[in-house]
Amino acid sequence: MSYTLIVAEVRRGVFEERNLDSLGLGTLLGGEAVLLVPDGAYEAADKLVDAVVKIKAPEEVYLNPMNMGKILEAVFAARGKPDHILFTQSSSGMEAAAYAGLFGMPVITDVSGYDSQAGVFLKSYYSDKVFGQFKAAGAPAILTVRSGSFREFAAEKAAAAAAEAMEGAPSVEARTFVEYVEEEKADIDITKAEFLLSVGRGIGNQDEVAGYEELAGALKAVLSGSRPVIDKLWLPKARQVGTSGKTVKPKVYLAMGISGAFQHIAGMKDSDCIIAVNKDPGAPIFQYAHYGIIGDIHKVRDKLKELAKG
Amino acid sequence: MNILVFTKRVAATQEEELRITGEGQAVDLSKVPFKVNDWDNYSVEEAVRIVDKSGGSVTAISIGDAESDEVLRRAIAMGAKDGFLVETGDILNDPFTRGELIRSFIDKEKVPFDIILTGVQSEDDQFGAVGGVLAGLMGLPYASMVIGIDAVEKDHVIIRRELEGGLQEKVKVATPCVLSIQSGINEPRYVSIMGIRKASKVERKVFKADGYEKGSPKIELVKWVYPEKKGGATMLDGELADVCGQLLGILKEKGVYQ
Repeated sequence: MSYTLIVAEVRRGVFEERNLDSLGLGTLLGGEAVLLVPDGAYEAADKLVDAVVKIKAPEEVYLNPMNMGKILEAVFAARGKPDHILFTQSSSGMEAAAYAGLFGMPVITDVSGYDSQAGVFLKSYYSDKVFGQFKAAGAPAILTVRSGSFREFAAEKAAAAAAEAMEGAPSVEARTFVEYVEEEKADIDITKAEFLLSVGRGIGNQDEVAGYEELAGALKAVLSGSRPVIDKLWLPKARQVGTSGKTVKPKVYLAMGISGAFQHIAGMKDSDCIIAVNKDPGAPIFQYAHYGIIGDIHKVRDKLKELAKG
Repeated sequence: MNILVFTKRVAATQEEELRITGEGQAVDLSKVPFKVNDWDNYSVEEAVRIVDKSGGSVTAISIGDAESDEVLRRAIAMGAKDGFLVETGDILNDPFTRGELIRSFIDKEKVPFDIILTGVQSEDDQFGAVGGVLAGLMGLPYASMVIGIDAVEKDHVIIRRELEGGLQEKVKVATPCVLSIQSGINEPRYVSIMGIRKASKVERKVFKADGYEKGSPKIELVKWVYPEKKGGATMLDGELADVCGQLLGILKEKGVYQ
């Protein structure tokens, strides 16, 4: 019998919200939806699927791809192979391609759309400037699902999900969890700011950062940045907006020189007012902003400073 | 430690307008500049740092057309000992095909290694899947989102993976293994034009991809499409001073600036 296997992402006892996007795509794909979770006290959205398989294994064992390969094998043995296996597009789902290699299955990552008539999946290329429509040439296909793309399609089922328990695989030695490492305490908490001035790759080089610090000072905004700026150490890690940094919801988010990779958008899209300044009219951030300015960000910076002083 | 590091020449499309040709058959990249994939730049740097500390050598490998020699010269300038080009004119959109080609190449040419490094993803297709597929095909332990390599021992490495919200996890991985490197793991060294010129004197080996297996594609690209337009922003137009005045007006209206 055909079914979709949804591998839930859990972390430190939390059933991650982006699992809803996998559940939504599961609904669109039709057929039976089977959710895989580690056995534990997770709020597991049982009503949104037909069956829940609880793996008797600690979270760290379940999240380890070397173990998950064995767990998937056991699921295939018990239920047959599904048509699709869904993971979240996340630090955990970024390792799901290993199962494609292991089992010889097709893989499409960062899926953000599905056309059920044509049976094609939409996948971003070139930072969302274009998308490829992909078809899997065989089943099961491994898909990782972009956060925010499908959650509105997650629908409650008429009957509660049938729950079953399954033994977890014995933990492998090839890769073992050691410990979590927390981020260092920072001088400022950007999640508390009402007004963020955020800078991205477009600022060009490190010498320009000071000018944006001055602008933030003049506007009484807190300075934050997108991944490329943090990677280059132009701003401290605690000032990073995006999935691997902080999720922020200020009154105003003023983005300068940020093109808008989805990992960044996920971290700021719920701001009350988003203003984007970018010289590239095709920058994806303009799709999410309330106000936009196409232009040279340094010139806008200098003029704003001048006006703010006057 | 023998380290293989993969490096890819990609289209730098950050500030380029991309045009889809025909009925969605192709994306026109003819006027777009090319560069080394950002993530691979971090991977090459990390590979060189490991051998600087623990000994061994770095081999940089690129899959692509003859122009990809450029990223191999760059890797050599950064400290790689060898550069191998697995030459193909095909785009290889399917990460499975790419992984299979690499597996077959390493196997057939008996390329020795302890650690294989790839970038977490490439800037162009953003698949982030080749490292994982390769590890799965070779039956090797795998970790992605590697944001720190804390220890390199005889039979294992201790790494840190970047998770969400600033959290990391420390993981022990047995070698040989495949690791996919996250951007920001290090500060890649500056590569001068002189350095690249000097690296050009080191011979790069070219292997024809036709000589290896790559299996049949497991996914098919049906066509290219533009992103769906969402609401979109209200654009502020006019002279610079006028536009900036409007912006300050919005800040005042929202109550964050007096």
